[in-house]
Amino acid sequence: MSKLLKIEWLKIKNYNAFIILSSFFALGVITVNYIVFLVNKNMISQTGAANIMGTFSPYNFDKTWQTTSYAAGWLLLLPALLLIILITNEFTFRTHRQNIIDGWSRQQFIHVKIVMALLTAVFSTILVFFTALIFGLLSGSDFSTNGISHVGYFFLKALSYNMIAVLIAVLIRRTGFAIGVFFIYMGFENFISQLLDVWSIRLRSKNNIDLGSMGDYLPMNSADGMLTFPDNPIKGLAKGVLPTDYPWLVLGLSIAYLILFYWWSMNRMVKTDL
Amino acid sequence: MSILSIENIRKDYGRVQALKGVSFDVPKGAVFGILGPNGSGKTTMLGIIMDILKPTSGTYKLFNEVPNETHRSQIGTFLETPNFYHYLSAERNLKIAAAIKERGEEDIPRVLEMVNLTQRKDSRFSTYSLGMKQRLAIASCLLGNPEVLILDEPTNGLDPVGIAEIRELIKKLHLEGKTIIMASHLLDEVEKVCTHVAILKKGELVATGNVNEILASEDIVEIGAANMSALKDAVLQLKGYSRFNEQGNLLQLFYPIGSANLETVNQYCFNRGVVLNCLYLKKKSLESKFMELTN
Repeated sequence: MSKLLKIEWLKIKNYNAFIILSSFFALGVITVNYIVFLVNKNMISQTGAANIMGTFSPYNFDKTWQTTSYAAGWLLLLPALLLIILITNEFTFRTHRQNIIDGWSRQQFIHVKIVMALLTAVFSTILVFFTALIFGLLSGSDFSTNGISHVGYFFLKALSYNMIAVLIAVLIRRTGFAIGVFFIYMGFENFISQLLDVWSIRLRSKNNIDLGSMGDYLPMNSADGMLTFPDNPIKGLAKGVLPTDYPWLVLGLSIAYLILFYWWSMNRMVKTDL
Repeated sequence: MSILSIENIRKDYGRVQALKGVSFDVPKGAVFGILGPNGSGKTTMLGIIMDILKPTSGTYKLFNEVPNETHRSQIGTFLETPNFYHYLSAERNLKIAAAIKERGEEDIPRVLEMVNLTQRKDSRFSTYSLGMKQRLAIASCLLGNPEVLILDEPTNGLDPVGIAEIRELIKKLHLEGKTIIMASHLLDEVEKVCTHVAILKKGELVATGNVNEILASEDIVEIGAANMSALKDAVLQLKGYSRFNEQGNLLQLFYPIGSANLETVNQYCFNRGVVLNCLYLKKKSLESKFMELTN
């Protein structure tokens, strides 16, 4: 695999889109958190919101792991887009054929893309880890690893987004169209998810059936579902209305979806004409 | 030893049958031309051999073994279009190809020189002309000096000098003992370099074998006289030709290659009281042979 990864590195190291999108992502993770950090530090404490928020501070240990993971989660579109571009480029330039003609197997071709998706998720997670650590230390609280599991949920979300990107790229093949489908799918899933959530609330309040927030059971939402903004007084107000969370179910589903995406992308590349 | 043997390969695209059970063998050391008009299935055939298309049925072997990616890395293949990363330079693209083929990068300057791209090795692929792209693809095939080359329309988009250079290159590689499989619809190209051919027509194999046997030309003697019926009667008694054909006010006599003798024909007719007003030896062109086989 290291040989294959070296070749992937040769392909991308001089590619502008790769350099730009990865820098945007890295800067974005730091900037978004810095903004939230500043807003919280200066504005909330100096306005009326302080009364409601009380002593809540999102970047204190152990909240920093969760806050940073949640905020950075919004930027995971960038690595996913990058993966779509890198994979659809192969189809546009027909280098996917050439790589195989030159001596890769079809399995090797798709495997190295999936490993790239995994590595992108790992690097994003490392970045989030250090960002959380730095903002935690900056907030002046004592170091703690409590709640560090949220960084793990961030990894799961990153991997899920990346694997959806791999699948869409492999299925659609054309860059612009694939990016379009990615966004449309995201919007569509959110819409269905909202409907399912409304239905879940109704089932709970009218029929007393609690199936959890069913909107969280869809592919992207299950990956999102584990990552939330830390509990705070405002969020507490909403708790009374919402159905119970079933985190283990959501976690299990997001892993099941990952396996499905892996199998589907693999199957597509191995069995069809290229 | 067969470098490639294909057995009963079929490929269907829905209702369209691109290949209808094609079988042939490519012997070691041959320059094997796959001939056929546009859409006859040449590229589909090569795509299947390179595992980028899946056959509907049938099998093939490379180097007498069940094919795998290692076999492909030992063959320099250029299929259909030059496929490179547009944003990378020629040299960087070749580094990727060399890494996939598991060949050393030290061969890159040699192959760039062979196709006259050394001067432009640092230019991005996207800035290349069609002919340069084509030459880069051929350079990539030559990386690591492989024993077998598969070239699909290698002279597409090249200028006359480029075409002649590729032809010379193929001849040179053949003399070095390499096996070359080449798909083409340019008969001139095939006639000049190939030792063997397979002719495809609408997905079917029309003929395969030694190029001299398959594309053996005939001598055609065209004769005419004022009295055509007397000429025809006279010709019926004449020996040596294989068949004849009446075309307008001329008779065409088909002789095995090199066996037609105009003097004999003239003397024979004169002796029979027929004076020829036309006597002409015409070499049958490869083109008309090809038309005959594929139409």
